[in-house]
Amino acid sequence: MELKPLVLIVEDEDTICNFMTAILNSNGYRVLKTDSGGEGLAMTASYSPDVVLLDLGLPDIDGIDVLKKLRKWTKTPVVVVSARGQEQEKVEALDLGADDYIVKPFGTSELLARIRTALRHSPKSMGAESKGKDQFAVGDLKIDYGRRTVSLAGDTVHLTPVEYKILALLSKNAGKVLTHDYIIKEIWGPYSSDSHTLRVNMANLRRKIEKNPGEPNYILTEVGVGYRMAEELT
Amino acid sequence: MDPSEERPDPDTILKEIQAEPDNKQGKLKIFFGYAAGVGKTYAMLDEAQERYRSGTDVLVGYIEPHTRPETMQLLHGLPALPPKIVRYRNIELREFDLDAALRRRPGLILVDELAHTNAEGVRNRKRFQDIEELLNEGIDVYTTVNVQHMESLNDAVERITKVRVQETVPDSIFDRADRIKLIDIEPDELLRRFQEGKIYRPDRAETAVRHFFTKENLRLLRELAMRKAADRISNENLNEPHLSKKMENAKMLVCIGPSPSSAKCIRWTARTAEAFHAQWAALYVESMESDFLSKDQKKMIRANMDLAEKLGAEVVTLTGHDVSVSVAEYARLSGITNIVVGKSRNKKTLKTLFEPAFEDKLISLLPGIEIHIIPDSAAARKYKKPRKTSRGPNFNFSRKDTVRMFGVLAATILFSYLLRSLGFADSNLIMVYILSVLVVSRITEGYAYGIIASVVSVLSFNFFFTEPYFTFNAIQPEYPITFLIMLMAALITSALTVRVKAQARLAVRRERRTEVLYEINKKLLATRGMDRIVDLTNEYLVNLFGRSVVFFTEDPVERVTGSVRRAAGDVDAAFFHSEDERAVAHWVFLNQKRAGAGTDTLMGAGAFYMPIIAQGKVLAVWGISCAKGVLDHNTRLFLRMIGSQAAMALERQHLSDEQRNIVVEAEKEKMRGNLLRAISHDLRTPLSGILGASSAIRENGRNLDGPTRDKLIADIQEESQWLIRMVENLLSVTRINEGKTKVAKKPEAAEEVIAAAVSRIKKRFPKRSILVHVPDELLEVPMDGTLIEQVLMNLLDNALKFSPNDSSVEVSLRKEGAQALFEVADRGKGITAEEFPYLFTGNFPGTKSPDSSRGMGIGLSICMTIIKAHNGKMEAVNRKEGGAVFRFALPLKEGD
Repeated sequence: MELKPLVLIVEDEDTICNFMTAILNSNGYRVLKTDSGGEGLAMTASYSPDVVLLDLGLPDIDGIDVLKKLRKWTKTPVVVVSARGQEQEKVEALDLGADDYIVKPFGTSELLARIRTALRHSPKSMGAESKGKDQFAVGDLKIDYGRRTVSLAGDTVHLTPVEYKILALLSKNAGKVLTHDYIIKEIWGPYSSDSHTLRVNMANLRRKIEKNPGEPNYILTEVGVGYRMAEELT
Repeated sequence: MDPSEERPDPDTILKEIQAEPDNKQGKLKIFFGYAAGVGKTYAMLDEAQERYRSGTDVLVGYIEPHTRPETMQLLHGLPALPPKIVRYRNIELREFDLDAALRRRPGLILVDELAHTNAEGVRNRKRFQDIEELLNEGIDVYTTVNVQHMESLNDAVERITKVRVQETVPDSIFDRADRIKLIDIEPDELLRRFQEGKIYRPDRAETAVRHFFTKENLRLLRELAMRKAADRISNENLNEPHLSKKMENAKMLVCIGPSPSSAKCIRWTARTAEAFHAQWAALYVESMESDFLSKDQKKMIRANMDLAEKLGAEVVTLTGHDVSVSVAEYARLSGITNIVVGKSRNKKTLKTLFEPAFEDKLISLLPGIEIHIIPDSAAARKYKKPRKTSRGPNFNFSRKDTVRMFGVLAATILFSYLLRSLGFADSNLIMVYILSVLVVSRITEGYAYGIIASVVSVLSFNFFFTEPYFTFNAIQPEYPITFLIMLMAALITSALTVRVKAQARLAVRRERRTEVLYEINKKLLATRGMDRIVDLTNEYLVNLFGRSVVFFTEDPVERVTGSVRRAAGDVDAAFFHSEDERAVAHWVFLNQKRAGAGTDTLMGAGAFYMPIIAQGKVLAVWGISCAKGVLDHNTRLFLRMIGSQAAMALERQHLSDEQRNIVVEAEKEKMRGNLLRAISHDLRTPLSGILGASSAIRENGRNLDGPTRDKLIADIQEESQWLIRMVENLLSVTRINEGKTKVAKKPEAAEEVIAAAVSRIKKRFPKRSILVHVPDELLEVPMDGTLIEQVLMNLLDNALKFSPNDSSVEVSLRKEGAQALFEVADRGKGITAEEFPYLFTGNFPGTKSPDSSRGMGIGLSICMTIIKAHNGKMEAVNRKEGGAVFRFALPLKEGD
């Protein structure tokens, strides 16, 4: 029998905790709960969960600090749970190594999608699936990493080297949100911080692969945080 | 997060409240004695030990190092501040370290020798200024002083001991002391101590000191000290109600002159005024003669004025030709009851025979005022009257004037020759000569040329026009009379002319000042805004004095810089920004006193700084560059007059700023109140729905059939979603209000924001069609992305709700001029005429049930707030083909 993935919820509000547990249990996950950051750290060490759901507002330690401490020794996927409007906090959490974030209030499907994505990108499953993968496909969009070509419904799309790099970066992390800073550093190197260039390239890229850049299907925008490549078309 | 971090600890608040009264002013206790050796320092240390044992934070700030061993023993156990070592001309001087004391902030500090003069290079010239700073910082101070150092008793002590004490302290600090402790021993005992070498070590017992320590002197000094202390007690006992009406109204005036005896008059007036609890003023009349006073005399006048100011007088300068008339006029106008004048016994001269004495003139001009005459002391008699020693500009010679004089005289002689050859009588020639003297006086400077011209005229008339011609002999007996009359007429006309000219000059100068003051006043009245006031005064100061100025409207503690204006020909005004200069201005702000070049405090500064004070508060500080030399008294006085005008303007500005803030604050409060009221109302409805549905399921769950239960659960979900949207809207408003009024803008790609909003709204309305049009060109708009996303979602939400389910909603973006135009259009029934005026206000007054407009009003008013905070515009119109369009425009360029 396949072992059910283990999710650790670090959250101090009972109602939210309850409903997350209910959803996860009924969708084939095992759940561990704690309401303090200190305990969360200890439990990560002793139970080695597959995913950690971390609330940023905890009573004892700031969620950001919990994340920093976790990242010192483990690559276990962490999905940060935060409130809307605190973009700065989300960006900080992502830059500190959180795998994804989910905004309160969220629905069932959103929560499950985030956890699925996080599990897929976790180091445990990476070896089996995505490493060495030389193709990516979603909807009509196909990327061949080996030949560095992109096609849309069979037609080749001509991209500049930078556009290709951005698209490849996003697609390799499909489903995950990548912050502006992260993308800029990956594409242009560690000393660059020009978000204008990124926006221009992104606009051009969208005009090449999306039907309507105002209603994108492949590259989604998280305002104030970054970009996310869709894993499947909605 | 952790709530305890944000909530202030009640204990600290309590501590702050308790600490507050102490923070205001330190208490000063003076140990007062009549001579060295009475045991002041001993008593001070003794009391400090006691306070130390009872738990006070005592610090020994400075004790004279040559203190007697018995006294030094008392220092044992008390924490002491190391002295500051100042190097001055290769001598190491030990000084009290004021800055260290201020940093250390003890509860009580001991500083010996109040009257000490600090070494050069220390911030304050006098130790009592150090002590004032300590008191202002709320530190209690113990100090010691002897009676001979009291400013007002200075000459009384000099009379007794024949020694002039240089180090004096103003009586104000004595009066300010909260407690005075008189340290007293019998003079016999003191003499015995002195002879035993306990007071001065044998090597220091110089003869001068020996002369000082006589029984007679000590007795008199003791009496003075006791009387001073007793005066203070009687002052404290006699509070205002006991004073007679007359005394309350007494106002004294002392006349200041350039003679050193003026100082005596000033001190006498200060003492008397204090005794009567009367106000007093010191008056200096600037007359024609003040123009040619020597440098020393000018310095003496300034010293006298400073002395008067130090002793608490109101110092006034007037200009006028006749000193007694000016004094009388001032006395009459300002309700003076007593006038004090100094008088020295001059030898009778011809002039004094005819001219009434100054005091006699005063008496005749002011019959109702008491005049006190203070005789000149012996020390001052050596002083010579200024007019005899100095040759003022009235007796100056210049080549230009000499040429003019001889030119006029030569012309006179030629013209007279002409007249005579035409047969005119001598009398006509005399008239011509007198005219020539008049002309000479008019076109030259000073008395000299007039007098010379008079004499030369008489001589040349004698030489050329009396028989025998071309000799100085005169045959006819009436000639000498003619000469005499001619000489006198010429002298008088010349003197008159000179005086008229001088008066005109004085009048012009006075006029000019009044005019400038009036002009400044008028302009300041018409000026609004702090910056404009600063600019205006700076401009005037630079034009008037030709020096660079700086104007601080805020205490320059950290990185605050004043507005600087550089005068042509003065040093670069950039030096005002240096750390040192700002420190001086900071000091002035704290201590409300002038400082910098030409004062007693921080005299090393490059500029003179004065505070602009209104109602006990420093509104601003001026700095005037002293690169061209220290400011003279007149300039300072004039500055002060301009300062009081500026103070009024600044105060008015402060008041109007405050008023405006109150209005803005009230407006905000009102808005907040309205919003809260509307929201609480709106929130109640969905909450009741949720509560009702959930309790129905919990309590009657078994009796409900499947579809009913699903319906109830769907309702709960819908209502909660509405609540969440509402809360998100409210959060966006707090995001705006948290910062001042502006939002934190960052360039965002407008299409991305639209895409994000559309994708989120689609999750809520999966069945509806939304058409998005964006331009090919990327539009980057400075904005708070989250807030604009919120606006778009609100607009889309409304559009979808108020249009039929099968219709589509359109979102479009385009560039219009320097703006990005966002549009949300639907095909609903549009906006009714009644709704239009209240569309963005958040409340529809006409609607009966709040449910009907639920959310929409507040949503739109929040959109409006957000767009306004972005400096954008928003409007709603009905489409011709049916439906409404909401559009908003955001500026593409950041800036205003």
